[in-house]
Amino acid sequence: MLPVERIIGEEGLTMADGALRLAMRLPWYRSLPFSVVEVESLEVDGASVDLSAAKIAYDGAEWPLAANGDQTNAFWFVRDSAFLIVPGQDLVPGSTHDVALTLYVSPPYIPGMKRFNTQAATLSIN
Amino acid sequence: MTTASGPQVGVTLYSFTNEWLLRQFELPDLLQEVARRGLGPNIEIIGFQNFKEFPDVSDDFAARFRDLVAAAGLNPVSCAINSDRFLKPGQQPIDDADLVEYHKRQLRSAKKMGFSLVRYQFALPVHLLPEIAPYAEELDIRMGVEVHAPMWAGHPAVQAYGEMYDKLDTPVLGWIPDFGGTASRIPESMLEAARRAGAAESLLDKLKEVWLEGGMSHEKAGRLREWALAAGHAPAHIQAASLAFFILSNNDPKSWAALVDRTIHIHGKFYGVSEDLVEEAIDYATILPLFRDGGFTGTIVSEWEGHAYDTRDAFLQVERHQAMCRRILAA
Repeated sequence: MLPVERIIGEEGLTMADGALRLAMRLPWYRSLPFSVVEVESLEVDGASVDLSAAKIAYDGAEWPLAANGDQTNAFWFVRDSAFLIVPGQDLVPGSTHDVALTLYVSPPYIPGMKRFNTQAATLSIN
Repeated sequence: MTTASGPQVGVTLYSFTNEWLLRQFELPDLLQEVARRGLGPNIEIIGFQNFKEFPDVSDDFAARFRDLVAAAGLNPVSCAINSDRFLKPGQQPIDDADLVEYHKRQLRSAKKMGFSLVRYQFALPVHLLPEIAPYAEELDIRMGVEVHAPMWAGHPAVQAYGEMYDKLDTPVLGWIPDFGGTASRIPESMLEAARRAGAAESLLDKLKEVWLEGGMSHEKAGRLREWALAAGHAPAHIQAASLAFFILSNNDPKSWAALVDRTIHIHGKFYGVSEDLVEEAIDYATILPLFRDGGFTGTIVSEWEGHAYDTRDAFLQVERHQAMCRRILAA
């Protein structure tokens, strides 16, 4: 996998207060507004995770995943991880899980381009 | 202060995209490494790649950046800015006033960091140039639109910009040729990457055949895709084989002659330079003399884009590319 294709971040998977927290990297060569990134799906151990109550956390701010498309002036620095937070999970610290994440990125200066990115990894809960 | 008597060579940090994304360098270290290897002093930086605060860089960061480049002995020539019109996928582009302001924010940031020009994009509708050019004049910063594949000197969008340039008649507006628009062949390293991704030789043979046909790049990509799907090739293999149509095109290398007069900066796009200093896809020996003999005295920044499919040592590639350019320019 090329560096520009990576979407699961180096910080991996953690649990806090009953919520799963997954590090994500932006699969592009430059920073982009969050509004052009769609989190399509997350699977843990082969099961689809309900993202209806999920949130995005980045650089001290947090917003509902459902409102991510409105974040036209919040830029995801291409070096940074953003975090997908999913409440209501019960993964045990230290346990290991197969995680599959799928994102779409629509570069805002290339009309009509929508790139599909997916990555699977086996991660331990930090 | 010396006055340049011919084209200078430099580097864009975009060449080091792999190293940057892998967090192998912080910005101060990357600047130092570029300086230590003698790849400057003239550099280009993509604002949205290397500056977290872009598009609105603070005075504090700008001051620190100016100190960093000064300490490294580098010269920040070009800051690449973006024309992000489509902030909500599938919806209408942002309105003209917002797009103009988006450019002004980036121009202000580039100026205060000490860059002498910006690279901008054709995604900026030509009718907005009369609103932006006076602001660039006020800031005293030049703007070069990047003529990038599939565009070339004869492309209708380039001609429309040329007409507006004539009308506005200001020294702040110019061209930034990107040589990927006049590739003479598909880079062998790109074909090899497609093979590694599983593309069959029959698919690559067809790719090379369609590459030579007429038409715009996106039409050729469509033609290849249609043929490949009917022939049973997997979508992932077709995507790997089609990369050439999205970042390169095969217009005449000599066509750059028409743009030399207003060229303010150059993207020396390349994919792989051999030990004997020959680039795989782009015919530098034909292109560079056009600019040298036409009086261009700006910078050709080495822009290695092999990172789109490869993880070779970018620093070595840039060193070879600069050696090749110097050899051709001195001939």
